[in-house]
Amino acid sequence: MIKKIKASTGEKILFIFLILLTITSFVFFYAIKNKCLFVDKIDLKKINFPNKNNIAIMNVECGMVIIELLPNLSPNSVERFKFFISNGDYDGSAFYRVIKNTLLQAGDLEFGNIENIDYFRVGSGKSKLGPINSEINITFEFNAGSVGLVRGDEFNTEDSEFFILLKDVPLFKGEYTPIGKVIYGLDALTKIKSSDKTEYVLRPDFLSDLKLLEQYN
Amino acid sequence: MRILFILLLIFQFNLLKADEINYLLKIPNLKTFSLNNKNGLKYLTAKKNFKIGVQSNISCNKLGEKNLDNKFSLIKRNLDIYDYEFLKKINLRFIVLCQNLYISKINTAGIPDLNKRTLILDLKFNEKYFERVIHHEVFHLIHDSFPEIFNEEAWSNLNKKGFKYADCSTCTDKLGLDIYKNTDGFLTEYSKTIPSEDMAEVYSFLITDNKNLEKIKKIDPIIFKKAEFIESRIKKINNL
Repeated sequence: MIKKIKASTGEKILFIFLILLTITSFVFFYAIKNKCLFVDKIDLKKINFPNKNNIAIMNVECGMVIIELLPNLSPNSVERFKFFISNGDYDGSAFYRVIKNTLLQAGDLEFGNIENIDYFRVGSGKSKLGPINSEINITFEFNAGSVGLVRGDEFNTEDSEFFILLKDVPLFKGEYTPIGKVIYGLDALTKIKSSDKTEYVLRPDFLSDLKLLEQYN
Repeated sequence: MRILFILLLIFQFNLLKADEINYLLKIPNLKTFSLNNKNGLKYLTAKKNFKIGVQSNISCNKLGEKNLDNKFSLIKRNLDIYDYEFLKKINLRFIVLCQNLYISKINTAGIPDLNKRTLILDLKFNEKYFERVIHHEVFHLIHDSFPEIFNEEAWSNLNKKGFKYADCSTCTDKLGLDIYKNTDGFLTEYSKTIPSEDMAEVYSFLITDNKNLEKIKKIDPIIFKKAEFIESRIKKINNL
């Protein structure tokens, strides 16, 4: 006769603990692996845009980012930005400069594209159109989601590069040309690759494409 | 070779402290202190020691809170005399406050940077003449913004014949800031270094000790001409 051995209470607790540990490990493994897990998906059809002519849509790894352009504040800069978008110049552009939870920079058309990224020169590239004058607005608040044109140390050196803020930066007020505001999808941008130690990202993430809303129709 | 370049690049990047202030001003380890000022000046302080410039030749240290509290109202009061339009003309927007400011191992009161529209001020430099020093440094931005208006040759011609300035402001150890009893064309020892420092000294007295300067102007014709030179040109800038 085989004697049944009953598990002790301690063994039962250990068994339950191991099962829970296994489940937790699986959940965490997938959650960590899939960095886009908690990013809300955006359905363009469900959004009613008040000004359809000034909407740009960026696709990044974790989803869609919708930017409302601000031609009333910076007419020349927005016109330039829209020109590059219409041409598809920003498609495949690298987010090569990222300050964690603060700022993303992309748009180097010469050295910062997925097709031709040059780690030694990215950030120094120029578009074929050359620099334009700054359009500074001393009342515009650079809050999370604000999109501005990148410039050198001096004003009037803006070209194709742009930045997007992930948090409010009051210091930028009156310092950069504002060209837009992210109205949906900022969460997707917080998942862009960054580094803890430096703002320059080796092997950066790229934006898939950047189009005007009218190009979707 | 390529690997070496990449390693050097990584090493260099690691030295950069990534934050929005460094992004804008290229100065690491700063924090904002006061942003909403009527004349648009934005004050920042060093939260840690920092080094900048070619081969990190400019260094400045973190401020003690006590030192900052005591000095800030004094600095603000002095800089509030400049309005937004004037500061825009002279390219001054950011004031960085720190202590023990050195450039190429020489202790200095302030370092103006026209391109970045920034003035770095050493809060511990010469307590006795601190207010004068603030305006002295502001003048360097005025001068750098309008070098053709503050023509150094025209200024040098105001001195007695035969007088020669030093080759540079730190090429001599005669750097005293005490006012001469007998001015003889120069307010302080430091005035004799180079024309721009001489101008900055006259300007700083015009702003902070005008009563005394008026007395000196009556007995020193060179100082009289120098003060007129500065005043007329400042008016010109105001009217631009």
